[in-house]
Formats: sequence, C-alpha cells, structure tokens
Amino acid sequence: MTLQASPPAVGGSLLAAELLRELAGFGTVREYGGTVIVHVPHARLPEAVRLALRCPGARFADLFGTDGPPLVLRTVLALDRDARYLVLQTPVESDTMPWLSDVVPAAFVEECELFEQFGLQPPEGHMLNRLMVAPVSAPHHPRLDAHEHPARDTHLPFIVEGQAFEFPVGPVRATAVESLYYGLVTSGEEVVDVYLHTWHKYRGIERRLRGQTPQQALFLVERGEGLSAASAAAAFAAAVESALGLDVPQEVRHARAVYIELERLYNHAQCAAALAQSTGLWIGQSQAELATELLLRLDAAVGGHRYLFGAVDVARSPRPPDISALRDLLPAAYAELCRVMDGLLSTNAFLDRVEATGIITPEQSAELGLVGPIARACGAPIDSRADHSASGLPLDLRPAVRDGGDCLARLLVRRAEVDQSKRLLDQLVDAPPLADCEPGPRRGWGLGVAESPRGEILAWVELDDNGRIARARIRTASARNWRAFDDAVRSQNVFTDVPIIEASFWLTVAGRVL
Amino acid sequence: MSVWFLRGIRRGIVTTRYPARPEPSTAALPTPPIFRTDLLTAELVEQLIAVCPSGALRREPTHLVYDVGACTACGRCYEIAGPAARPSGEIELSAVAREHLIKTIRIGEAGR
Amino acid sequence: MTEQHTADPALTELDTAAEQLRAAVAKQFSRSLHIRTIDTGSCAACESELRMLSTPHYDLHRLGFFYSPAPRHADLLMVTGPALRVMDVAVAKTYAAMPEPKLVVAVGACPLGGVYPSDEFAHGSVDKILPVDVWIPGCPPSPIALLHGLLVAVHRLAEKVSTMSFAEAR
Repeated sequence: MTLQASPPAVGGSLLAAELLRELAGFGTVREYGGTVIVHVPHARLPEAVRLALRCPGARFADLFGTDGPPLVLRTVLALDRDARYLVLQTPVESDTMPWLSDVVPAAFVEECELFEQFGLQPPEGHMLNRLMVAPVSAPHHPRLDAHEHPARDTHLPFIVEGQAFEFPVGPVRATAVESLYYGLVTSGEEVVDVYLHTWHKYRGIERRLRGQTPQQALFLVERGEGLSAASAAAAFAAAVESALGLDVPQEVRHARAVYIELERLYNHAQCAAALAQSTGLWIGQSQAELATELLLRLDAAVGGHRYLFGAVDVARSPRPPDISALRDLLPAAYAELCRVMDGLLSTNAFLDRVEATGIITPEQSAELGLVGPIARACGAPIDSRADHSASGLPLDLRPAVRDGGDCLARLLVRRAEVDQSKRLLDQLVDAPPLADCEPGPRRGWGLGVAESPRGEILAWVELDDNGRIARARIRTASARNWRAFDDAVRSQNVFTDVPIIEASFWLTVAGRVL
Repeated sequence: MSVWFLRGIRRGIVTTRYPARPEPSTAALPTPPIFRTDLLTAELVEQLIAVCPSGALRREPTHLVYDVGACTACGRCYEIAGPAARPSGEIELSAVAREHLIKTIRIGEAGR
Repeated sequence: MTEQHTADPALTELDTAAEQLRAAVAKQFSRSLHIRTIDTGSCAACESELRMLSTPHYDLHRLGFFYSPAPRHADLLMVTGPALRVMDVAVAKTYAAMPEPKLVVAVGACPLGGVYPSDEFAHGSVDKILPVDVWIPGCPPSPIALLHGLLVAVHRLAEKVSTMSFAEAR
C-alpha cells in the first residue's frame, strides 16, 4: 500500500491550550481527567484533525464507530507531550465517511475497518483494502453483524506485470506461527512489494463484548492478543474504572504495573529468539528460548499463569503478585536474557543481517502513527508509561529511543527496555510507590491505556445503565504497527530479509484483527 | 562463534525429565477444579454456571455437568465456591475421545 | 477406559478391530513422528507454547517428535484456534496434503469449544471440520500438557482423564 505523503502542516505548530481554544469553534469541548471530548460536525472532521496535528507531539491513535442510530465516529488523537487524549466525536450524517486518509495516512486502516463494520463508503474515486473480512464476490457491501462467512480460498490473484511475480506465503506458514497471508511481489530476489491479508484470524471480539459485564468481558479481552493479555486487560480495566468512577486501590495499580513489565520481558525474549532463528543462529535461538522459558515460569510463579491470563481485573487484584517469588526468580531470568541479547549484539554474522534491514524512516513512523519499540527505534520518544502515566504510578521512566529504524535499532530498543523493566520491577518490589488517584464521577464511558510489549494499547468502553458493555473498542499496538510492514519490507530488501523484519517487529496477527 | 558454544556448555542441561519423572515447575500452573459433592448446592451450582466464561458448567436436575475440555482454569469458580472447589493439580488431561472430558457430578443433598 | 456401548457381538468385534488398527498405526509412529501445526484463529498463546516444545527445557526431539515445515511430510496435525470458518479451505487443503496414516490433535480450549461458540465466524469446535484423535485442554496447554497429548496420540502414554471424576466427597 503506497500512501500519499500528507500535505505539510499549514500555519505552524499550536500548543495544546491554543488547540483546544481553536477546537471550540467546531463544537463543545469538555475535559475529563486526561481525556478531552470535542464534538465536531461530519463535514469539518478532516479540518479538525489537520488542526490537531499541528500540536507538537500530536499523533493519530484511533478512529472507530459506534452504532446508533445515529452512527457516531470517534477520532482519537494522542497529545503525547500534554498527557492528554483528544477524542473528536462526530455523528455520521451520510453514507460517506469523512475521509481522513488525505490528512493523516495513518487513518487509512481504520477507514477500511469502518467500511467493513458499518458499510460507510469512501468518497468517489478512493479505494479501500480488505482487513478483517474475507472478500466476497457479492456487490452489496457486507456488514459484520449479519453476514455469513462461507469458506473461501484465501489466495487472491493479483495482477502483477512486467518482470515481477507474486510469491504467495500462507496463510498456513511455518511451525507454530500464526496464520497470515502475504503476497511477496518479487522479481526473483528483491522484494518489490508485499500485500498482507490478515482476515484469517478475525474473531469479532468487539462485537461479542456487547451486553457482557466488564468482568465477563475481560476473558475475551485477554484472549484478543494473548501475548499482551496483561496489558490489554489493564487498559480495558482502566477504561471501565474510568467509566464507573471507581476507586482503584494503590496495590491494584501496583500489581498491574508488575504484570505489565513481566509481560514485556518474556515478549522481548521471544523476539530475540525469533531474530536469532531468522538469521540462522540456532544456538542463539536456543539460548533465547531458554531465557523465555525462565521468564514464563517466573510469570507462573508470580502471577499464577505463564501468560498472565486472569491476573488483572476491574478495581481489584485477583492475584496479588508473589513478591518473594519475583525476588527469587527474576535476577537469574534477567541475567540469562541479557547474556543472550548482548551475545547477539556482539555477533558479527547477526549484525550483518540486521543492520540496515527493514528500515522505517522517522517520517513514515509519524505518518503511520506507529507506537512502541518500532516507533522508538525511529527516534520517536513516545511511551504511554511516561506520556500518559498509564499505570497511574509515578514510574521513573524515559522512553528508550534509538535512531536508524532498522532491525538492529529495534533490537537495541528492546535491549534497553529489558534493563528498564528490570529497574522498574526492582522499584516496584522494594518500595511500592505512594500515589493516590482520585476517582472521577461515574460517566458511563472511559478511555484506558497501557503500554504493551508492542506499544500503546487503547481501550474505549461505553456502559449502559445496567453496567453492561454497549461498546468496547480495543486498539492494540499490533493493529497500529502492522501497517508499516510493507514499507519496511520494501526498503531495498531481499526475500530472506522478510522473516528477519517480521521477527524484529514482533507483532501478532491476533492483535491486528481482534 | 566459540563464545556461543562455551556459554551453552557452561549452562548445562535444563531439559525436563518428563515423562520419566514429573516436571516440578508444573506445580505453579493453574488447573481445572475438583468439586465437593457434599458442598454443591443447587444455588451454588447456578452461581458457578453464571461465573464460568467458557460454558464448562451446565445444570441437569440432579447433576452438574462439567466439561473439563472447555475449562480454561481461569479460577473464577474458585473465587466463589469456597471449600466446594479446589484445584485438581492435574496437568495431563489429554483425552482420546471428547466425551472422556465430560464429567457428571451429583449435586449434594445439602440444598435444593 | 472406553465403554462398550452395546452387547451386539458384531459391533464389539468391529470396535476391537478398530482399536487394534489404531494401536498398530500408533506403533508405527512410536519411534518418530512429524508434526504440522495450523492456526485457525488462536490468540497466539497456544502457538507460543507449541514453540516452547522445541526449546531446551522441553526438547520434543528427544522423544522422537519433529516439527515439519510442510504437510506432505507430516504424520500429525496440531490445530489451535476455534476453527474460524474463513480458514476452512486452508485446513482442508493441509489435512488432504498429509499422507495416510495421519492423526489430528486439538490444542487448547479454543478447538475444544471453550472460548468461542459456533456462529457465523467460527465452528467453535474443530471436530466439525476434522476427525480429532486427541484433545488437549488448557488455555494455553502448558508444554508438559502438550507432550502428554502427543505421547497419548502415539500410545506411549495412557490417557488419564477418563479415570478421573473431578469430584470428591468430604
């Protein structure tokens, strides 16, 4: 997918306070804790987004619809330097969506989803990709709530002309990797383009959550992206607590912070193993896997489950972390992981493969709204633990940033984050921080955030009068970051670089198509 | 390259002895419940069914139908069952037929 | 173990013959078995545990199990996920590409029907689309649970769960 460059910001940068004043010209502006809701009419939404992006540190974060009637669109922009999220609320007044992709290329993926979920059409002449729903030949645009999904052959023939041909990979791929189809367009060795088809794992989780209680919903929220179970549950729980105006005891927030860092450690270990595997270093892979197993056993001992399922709940801690187990087992597991990652980083055969491979430029990162280690490896200092006090605890944290945007930079960021997580866990173990969080009033809606191993997870929850979910939106970091995969692969790489790039991203397909 | 080799040798063998010996680390893992027939009242059974997110529990007039295969060992039933449920500690749960995982448990005389 | 459903001698004979055939087939696999994995919509945790089987702590190779990159060389198919309908064709092709004799193992609560119901997106239970030989509960099943399932599939370990009642009196 080649995106048009966004038009340059007109009129220079705008500080947040000025931005909010300007936005008052579009509709009512109300601030609730760190979330600002602005009502923006349908016709003026692109203009409002363009204005908001003039604020330094502003980033497109999400765009989703809520069934009505009327259908309401919410555009979420993160104001990372102001610790705020801006939510532009827009009742949809026609069958055509406001079309934000020309203003911010990052919105393209969400606009494809709007089409698939609500049938909103793009403006004349604009095309969309299929994301969550397999293509069907019926001319009528399908809506997700009443659609039969007959079994279909999952390979789409693309017409590739000239010297290049499409090499289909998937959806059934290598051992124990998720189902994902990509068509590599190649002239033989060099990769010219790549098409990703991710609809093979769409489980309709957001739809299934409707009508459930928050506690019931956590079961599926954790299983949306199982490798981010604790962070997804934490973001969701925070959204629910915000919606209900619940007081979240300090020990609950403390437990969540511990689990989120433990989750980060095992994911970074798995990433190191995948990188070693993709570069043919079987011994390095084995040793990274050894470290991974130690970390998974650590999670079972501290949080009662290897992948921390069931460790996070709304306003309570169902499993307080076993701090003595953490003290006993963390040092060895951490040391093992550091040894492996440092070993990889000093092995020339490995460095040759990861340096200058899969480059994402800082401009691409900004335009596509990337988050997490991938964005930090392009020099973007964004981290929701620092920018939005995601845990509600005063953690001493500066985002681990590197330059280069290649696979090596991404590994270096993760290496730094391993040290960072160890330090944070030591802080949390030795002296649980004292930070009171004033609960807000019961509002019926809430926005929650957590920093998963892949980046920011946003959760938006609307509850009805019975406290059941009217709308739940989970935007994982995988859903944000996969859109950069084709750019990374296209940047002068060969066939065998593709698994390396995929390993360096370390996203999940499950997280892309909740 | 020799660095990797030496590091591996120094690390030693970590491989589990399973199946020859049990694997000790499995003691920390969550497992499906064992129910106390004498403490299972009809009322408690209804509560358990309501809290189970996997549909692993079903009610028949005199029995609780418990699908161990659907159970994810999430632990929600332990939180409300008190002494009526405890972790089985069973890890080796594989079955050659789906019905081998379906257990019917008599609901206790304690209440109707 | 398996109950006799009827006293009809002809059927009992067939049951015995089927059992013997199964045992003979499993014996063929008892030394070395090649495994293909397929994801029909999991959350990725089961994939992670499957990957851990080939790591130093578990090392499935010492038990004669090997992961195969292609169904053509595979004896056993491990299925994760709730059998999303959109994967039906890929599942059918993978299974068809495996030569006989072949086994199917359902991995985790998803293909056992414990996470998603049968609806327009998912079959819910994988036996709607494949004949399953071994069911491994868990969410995700730990590597030890997976090894147990594989060893049961090749008749090197006995199934235990059918003898467990999961009920006790005082």
